[in-house]
Amino acid sequence: MNRAFGVTIRAMSIIVLLGTIAFFARNHIFPSASADSSLPHVELNADKIGPRSIEDRTSQVVPRDYAYAWQTLAEALASNQSDLLDGYFTGWAKENFSNLIATQKRTSVHIHYVDHGHKLTALFYAPAGDVMQLRDQAQIERQVFDGDKLIDDEPLTVDYMILMTPGADRWLVRDLEATSEVGR
Amino acid sequence: MRTAIGVFLTLVALTALATAADIHAPAEVTAGTSFSIATSGGGKATFYLVGPAAVVKRSVDLGSEILVQESEIEHAGKYTAIVCAEQCSTAHFYVRPSEGARISLLVHPSRVPVSDSEAISAVAFVSDRFHNLVLTPQTVNFLVAPKDATEMSQKVSAGNGVAWVRLTSGRKDGPVKVGATLGRTSELRVVQQVAADACNLHIKSAWEGRSFFVETDPVRDCSGNSVPDGTVVSFTKTDTTGKTTVDVPIKKGIAKVEMPVTGEAHITVASGVVTGNELSVVGRQ
Repeated sequence: MNRAFGVTIRAMSIIVLLGTIAFFARNHIFPSASADSSLPHVELNADKIGPRSIEDRTSQVVPRDYAYAWQTLAEALASNQSDLLDGYFTGWAKENFSNLIATQKRTSVHIHYVDHGHKLTALFYAPAGDVMQLRDQAQIERQVFDGDKLIDDEPLTVDYMILMTPGADRWLVRDLEATSEVGR
Repeated sequence: MRTAIGVFLTLVALTALATAADIHAPAEVTAGTSFSIATSGGGKATFYLVGPAAVVKRSVDLGSEILVQESEIEHAGKYTAIVCAEQCSTAHFYVRPSEGARISLLVHPSRVPVSDSEAISAVAFVSDRFHNLVLTPQTVNFLVAPKDATEMSQKVSAGNGVAWVRLTSGRKDGPVKVGATLGRTSELRVVQQVAADACNLHIKSAWEGRSFFVETDPVRDCSGNSVPDGTVVSFTKTDTTGKTTVDVPIKKGIAKVEMPVTGEAHITVASGVVTGNELSVVGRQ
């Protein structure tokens, strides 16, 4: 009886240890976004882009990287890890979200996003190809927790104005500003 | 009986005062401008302000106005105000950017050949003092100030916070300042204009002792600017031994090479896609 109990305890300890290692590896050793099924759906309409026309490859990469950006943002906000933002954010967007995470830590409030997809419209592509401005109509469900207590949970349709710039191997979100002025 | 009903109604009213926490926020406010959120009910509650760059949490008294500080709404975007007593009430509002106060300027390329049509692009981003992109129309004045030439300007209306122009480079080499101004704010970049491809490439030959040399006249572009040292000039000799090409970088404005010649020879010169004159020479026996 005692031996069986000891074996069970040992098995549970191993499971807990493996779980801890897996969690640590995911969040600390491989902090960048991973391509998995939680990648939000992003559509890009580049019919009105100008003055530079969008290259085929760019029209595939921009929505992909924007989806990764939202995935990493959701992960960073859920886990309070601002270093996750390094992968797909730069400039003011990165600074603002890093600050948001810092205040989440101070207040014990945290935001959880359930992403229902994005409709991107490309508006401006600089002649030198070094910046792109897009509009996003995002369908997201945002839950706000204070500790474990859910204090707000609602589906939101948010219009964002975005600036993205090319990095070494991906496009980065430089500015992400929710606006009521889109489409005016 | 009447007393019991009165006590009951009072308790209900007190409970309602303690739990009801309706809040009313304006639909839109300007970044960095304090404002108040009205609340109803009574008792203590927790106020949360969830914005694009910060979360605020503090205790408030229901029934009084909640003052939102300037520093709490510096970032444009969608905000959610939440007041929680026993239940939570929510109100959304937008923070719009304040007036345009900053310009970020991207100018490409940093070096450009002279007289190149629409070769320079300048893109200006208009933001307020908190770095929010100003989406309302703004007029940006682009300036081009070549060295030793008259300054030119062009006004462009920024849509969605972005204004851009394409510029043709000037005829003279040297630095040119490209700038953008918005009110009292301006940003400046320097583009180096360099000579374009060689023009009217011309070679001559001369014997120096027993050696035969071919050299160019000073290599200039079609506007008269000296083509930079290091630009490669190709000399090609065709004689009885066959065809030989030598690539020579321009040094102090000219390209010069020693070419052994056997019998009759034809020598041509080229730099990039530009070709020059042809020499017919006879080697010494």
